[in-house]
Amino acid sequence: MNGAPTPRRPRWFEFQRAIPARASLALGVSVWIIFFLLWESAVVFEWVNSLFMPPPEKVLLGLWSLLVKDAFLVDIGISIYRIALSFALACLVAVPLGIFMGSFPRVEAFFNPLVSAWRYLPAPSFIPLLLMWFGTGDGQKIALLFIGVIWFLITIIMDHVKSVRRELIETSMTLGGNRWQILRTVVIPASMPNIMVAMRQMLAVSWTYLVIAEIVAATTGIGAVMMRAKRFLHVEKIMAGILVIGLLGLLFDFLFRRLHRLLFPYLESERR
Amino acid sequence: MSAAPRETKLSVHGLSKDFRLGSGETIQAVADISFDVRDNELCALLGPSGCGKSTVLRMVAGLEEPGAGSLMLDGKAIAGPGRERGMVFQSYTSFDWLTVQENVEYGMRLNGVPRAERRDRARHFIDLVSLGAFRHAFPIELSGGMKQRVAIARTLANEPAILLMDEPFGALDAETRWTMQELLIDILESTDTTVLMVTHDIEEAIFLADRIVFMTRHPGRIRKILTTDFKGGRRVADKEAVVGLPEYGALERHIMHMMREESPSREHHAAEG
Ligand SMILES: Nc1ncnc2c1ncn2[C@@H]1O[C@H](COP(=O)(O)OP(=O)(O)O)[C@@H](O)[C@H]1O
Ligand SMILES: [Mg+2]
Repeated sequence: MNGAPTPRRPRWFEFQRAIPARASLALGVSVWIIFFLLWESAVVFEWVNSLFMPPPEKVLLGLWSLLVKDAFLVDIGISIYRIALSFALACLVAVPLGIFMGSFPRVEAFFNPLVSAWRYLPAPSFIPLLLMWFGTGDGQKIALLFIGVIWFLITIIMDHVKSVRRELIETSMTLGGNRWQILRTVVIPASMPNIMVAMRQMLAVSWTYLVIAEIVAATTGIGAVMMRAKRFLHVEKIMAGILVIGLLGLLFDFLFRRLHRLLFPYLESERR
Repeated sequence: MSAAPRETKLSVHGLSKDFRLGSGETIQAVADISFDVRDNELCALLGPSGCGKSTVLRMVAGLEEPGAGSLMLDGKAIAGPGRERGMVFQSYTSFDWLTVQENVEYGMRLNGVPRAERRDRARHFIDLVSLGAFRHAFPIELSGGMKQRVAIARTLANEPAILLMDEPFGALDAETRWTMQELLIDILESTDTTVLMVTHDIEEAIFLADRIVFMTRHPGRIRKILTTDFKGGRRVADKEAVVGLPEYGALERHIMHMMREESPSREHHAAEG
């Protein structure tokens, strides 16, 4: 016998052991193939009533007909506009406020009791009130999306700013930095990558509230189109709506990730 | 170096500091600390962990309010942090979003040094710490020793009256540490900088310092101030040569003896006995 070690039989499941990229891709694709096969079978073998559960290809046709006949792109555009406007407004308030609250305990002590209380109020509970104040137009939806994300956004940003290492701030102090300079040249750049991550996560939450707002009372937007499809039992169009929301969510997530990499190139350590 | 008496740069007199703990009780971190650091001197604060070295250094930096006592730099009372007392920390403090060049320019940018001068001075100090090849690298690409070199260059380029260092090489592996110690001596020789440095490493203190302030704990007090005259008033950048001198061994043993008297295990035995 030679002294070569016998290689251990590779096993499928190993704790926290990285797998090859190709295996990862193959597994990721298979789960979707299985999903669609099950869905298709459910319809073909009549496990479900195809009136309420059309097969995947019918959903795609429904999406096509929505886009071509029902000017669905306009509704998609309206939904994106509502998300973008409300989210921009929320960030405009939350980013500076979160930065100041995280930097200065006195500012935190003033605002935090208010912010934490609002965080526990479910935004949809304001819908009746908002309908009375703003009617069924864009104002109501934007207000709902705004109060749906702003409190969490403020809190998360504050926490990220608080976790900026004290030595970084003190280094700047001993180099002659005043408070404004330290805020601008240390606190903000040090917390910005995390703030961007927080924004990406809260944007996903924003989509949830958008659909709620458009389903409750709206004539335009993706949610409204889905509610109209329900009235005519166009289940494939409802599902097409869900599909589009999912795809848009993925797209925005992707764009934010790209932006993150673009803005913070210095974070990529595995370059070598 | 000349034998002429050097002027006092930093004067610490009767310095004390209490901390209030979360439990409500106060502990006396340091008590009645008095020592001077002379112009162009490297003074080391040495002592067991928890004896208050960092607290003293932070008060000199203006990052901590003294409870009592006076602190004077160049004859002026110290109030709050300022650029004339630049500090290098044990943990890495490179600004990750700035390149090496921008990191070293940082302090000068805060203080309104014109762009061209800033760039040239940063280049000079980056070369001095042998990081010329990494001028445009981001800190995440650097090793720990290189990050500390950036921190030293950044502080020196800002032209402080005194350089404060809190265990700057404490997080480095042994080989990098002595390379950095030798590099520090070279740098100080070419820049005429006064240094107050904290360390718990006896070898480091003897090799680097002209004078050693040895502290004991509970509360932190000065036990003894020692000089390293045996180096002949010169700084030798060759650690092997210094460690080989018989006087080095004698001084190290002397400090080790004092350190041992301080060790917590003895306190325990004393308390139990
Ligand atoms: N911010 C603080 N709050 C409470 N206690 C502190 C604080 N900083 C230091 N201490 C206490 O003061 C003593 C001296 O600490 P330090 O100066 O960090 O010692 P060294 O640097 O010599 O290890 C220790 O007992 C430490 O627990
Ligand atoms: Mg310390």
